[in-house]
Amino acid sequence: MSRRVSNGRFERSLMVALCAAAVLAAAPAGAAPAAPTRTQLANGLNVIVVPTSRLPLVDFRLVSRAGSVNDPAGKEGLASLTADLLTQGAGKRSAKQIADDIEFVGGSLNAFPGTEQMVVTCEVLKKDLALGLELFRDCVVSPTFSADDFNRKKEEALGQIASNKSEPSVIADNAMARWFWADNPLGHPPIGWEGSVKSLTRDDVVKFHHGYLTPERSVLVIVGDVDAAALVASLKTAFAAWKPAGPAPTTDPYGPAAALHGRTLRVINKPEATQTQIRMMCPSVPRNHPDWFAMEVANTICGAGFTSRLVNSIRVEQGLTYSIGSAFQQRRAAGAFRISTFTRNDQLRKCVDATLAEVKKLVDEGPTDAELDKAKNYLKGQYPLGLQAPDDLAGEIANVEFFNLPQDFIATYPAKIDQVTMVDVKRVLKTYFCTEDLKILVVTNGEMAKKALDGLGALEMKEIE
Amino acid sequence: MSRPMVAIALAALLGAAGQAQAAAKPKPATTPAAATTKAKPASAPALSQANYPIERYTLDNGLTVLLHEDHTVPVVCFWQWYKVGSRNERQGITGLSHFFEHMMFNGSKNVPPKEYDKRLESRGAYSNAFTTRDMTAYYEEGGKESLETMLQLDSDRMRELSLLPDMLKSEIEVVREERRFRTDNSVPGLLDEALYSTAFEASPYHWPVVGWMKDLERITRDEMVAYFRTYYAPNNCILVLVGDFDPKDAKAKIAQYFASIPKQTPPAPPVNSEPEQNGERTASVRYPSETVSIDVGYKAPSVASDDIWTLDVLSNILSGGESSRLHQALVYDQQIALSASASFRAGLEPGLFEFYVEMKPGHTAEEAQKALYAEIQRLVTDGPTERELQKARNQAESGFISALKTNNGAGQALAYFEHVHGDYKKFFTAIDKYRAVTAADCRRVAQQVFDPTKRTAAVLVPLEVGKEAQP
Repeated sequence: MSRRVSNGRFERSLMVALCAAAVLAAAPAGAAPAAPTRTQLANGLNVIVVPTSRLPLVDFRLVSRAGSVNDPAGKEGLASLTADLLTQGAGKRSAKQIADDIEFVGGSLNAFPGTEQMVVTCEVLKKDLALGLELFRDCVVSPTFSADDFNRKKEEALGQIASNKSEPSVIADNAMARWFWADNPLGHPPIGWEGSVKSLTRDDVVKFHHGYLTPERSVLVIVGDVDAAALVASLKTAFAAWKPAGPAPTTDPYGPAAALHGRTLRVINKPEATQTQIRMMCPSVPRNHPDWFAMEVANTICGAGFTSRLVNSIRVEQGLTYSIGSAFQQRRAAGAFRISTFTRNDQLRKCVDATLAEVKKLVDEGPTDAELDKAKNYLKGQYPLGLQAPDDLAGEIANVEFFNLPQDFIATYPAKIDQVTMVDVKRVLKTYFCTEDLKILVVTNGEMAKKALDGLGALEMKEIE
Repeated sequence: MSRPMVAIALAALLGAAGQAQAAAKPKPATTPAAATTKAKPASAPALSQANYPIERYTLDNGLTVLLHEDHTVPVVCFWQWYKVGSRNERQGITGLSHFFEHMMFNGSKNVPPKEYDKRLESRGAYSNAFTTRDMTAYYEEGGKESLETMLQLDSDRMRELSLLPDMLKSEIEVVREERRFRTDNSVPGLLDEALYSTAFEASPYHWPVVGWMKDLERITRDEMVAYFRTYYAPNNCILVLVGDFDPKDAKAKIAQYFASIPKQTPPAPPVNSEPEQNGERTASVRYPSETVSIDVGYKAPSVASDDIWTLDVLSNILSGGESSRLHQALVYDQQIALSASASFRAGLEPGLFEFYVEMKPGHTAEEAQKALYAEIQRLVTDGPTERELQKARNQAESGFISALKTNNGAGQALAYFEHVHGDYKKFFTAIDKYRAVTAADCRRVAQQVFDPTKRTAAVLVPLEVGKEAQP
């Protein structure tokens, strides 16, 4: 929860996430990992086990369709609070006992709330597998949800919502999502709103847990130094008491964003800001879409990596920002294209105009052959670096399941990138990279921004919510 | 909770004595550790030249090279670690080291601006860098076939950096934006700057790594050129190569690209005239926020002291995960804070043992300080229990070894020991140092360091969000 910056450390770029996961590999670059064992338990839980013997470690990852899109209207924040409470007392242990037991053996146990996923992870040494499995199972299946823990975590959530109001980038992300998705369940941050979180009761959490954190809505991936057959046998025992709530869902509780016509602007007033946070967004397609590989390549050229058009023009050439990037936010049933950056207040208009012009130029003219080759090599070179740690590999395998991607997705990634042609890239650029029909949101001094953005489109001003 | 800790895992893998920690029988948490408790001696060192081979050599121009082979994956990570950070600056040119870090990507003799990243990315490789008070460090990471490109690019910029006026002009704007982002519009950033500039008066840790905004407006090209000659000399740099390479071939290529770069007169050490602190200090920072945060630092020794290992263990006892003392007291029991953490990183100059607490809305900085200082005092008075000491040692060991999971992390650790500890061999003894920390050490060092008269607190004074402009 701490937002502490690392002590006196200034990095060249915010894009370190790309390489942070570069660890010793279980699998050679680009090669498929050891053959996974797939099992469905009697309760409907899909289990995938990938044995790797390089480190005596075991990583668990449960991904459930129990995200903030499943929050009932007026109860925004419920999925997040439920996730927060999973590790705060379960089975025979109190919150403190759970933390103490896992930390004593140098392991980790976490539950993460997400937009359309709830993720529970655990990492232990092979020799602590039994303890890890017990803690992990207890947190998923039999969390206590004591009244005291409920009240404590609810107060913390309210505190975090208040704390977020001093964080310009979080203000911008939340305000843009709310505006862009409107009444769509994707429009609220997982943590919820102050008013909705205040209304949450312990009973809401118990019901959410029973209704959504269920075997038929989940996939369990285990990567590590394990005997697959023996592990599956112990999983059958461990999860025998976990009951399904019904058949696996076939639809999602939300759909795509409405198409946009023209540009609209929103200013969130933060009078003292010396730097303006900028977000631009337009609708796109869900994750499991045939254009995905071409969109990855096109986006790498547009706004990912140091040599992308946006970083090159806005940061390197014009010195307008420290960080700019474009990305597709892709969910099971909806998607969006988003550009994020920030600039000093007196350069706001220049930064917005230059960003839009750069994207438009790329869309109109297409990339060069050299750019296309560079982007493909870069994606192929970086992908295996992010699969080497067992927990990272578990994450990618769970994604393949969650988004119903082809079973050979990981193994065929480099070949699929190779197959992307210039024609594909030019087509997806014209289809998904918007410059005219989009929403632009800024967080900054409102009076200044109103003048700076004059003429770009219909503009409204709001206070921080 | 704690981040994944593969540490003990790797130690066990390496045939090390991890069992002494991990398998230790838990004692009741309420039993205070006897003052005479001795840590169990390990049967073998966790890390050694035998299970973690490192080759070190020096070129004639003074360039230090460290090699560690790991053929698990066909990738390499290459670090260039310059022994210069903001401590080598002075009033008027603060932020120059960090600005320099940015400029190292903006053109050298045979590599025009923008080419550096283009050549790497087109080969599937990636590069980044960071600057701290003590160091400026660069790395590239990619397939093993990209090694020669890395050596070519990095030797070229060590030999002759262009520092083109146009690039200086646009890049300083990027740096100013970075300052606005990380410091001027960030509560933790503002507090960190206030803490260090208040706690240190005549130490080179007084000014911020990113530099004062007004210095960023006046740094000249001449100052940059002089700085380059002095600090970017081969004799002021450590190269570390980790991953899948053939050592004979790598050494030949390193010599081919780097050996002819001329050495320079070694730089003079920075002046540190910091007087003894004699009394508690407070700095306040006004900023719009609905929550209050405090950043507290106690004067702590430099890497020259053997107490740094105990300070790492104390940091785990106080804030290593949700079972730690600060989380239990401030977040769990009293329920006044959103987060409470302790951190310590040994540096070349005496530094700070830091605490950061963010309170829930409605709770004040006075409450934060009272609760924090009570927990610190409890540790000073009673010391740790046997179980929490064991847990903290396990965590320190875990944290150390988990950093070695990656080529990148291993390279960083080796360079850090060679530079900050002055000898990469100390890398091999670190885990044994953690294992040797006793309850008596914890009490002695806590008593010495957590002295209220050597304390500085930077405190947020919250203004109403969205209403008042900053003065």
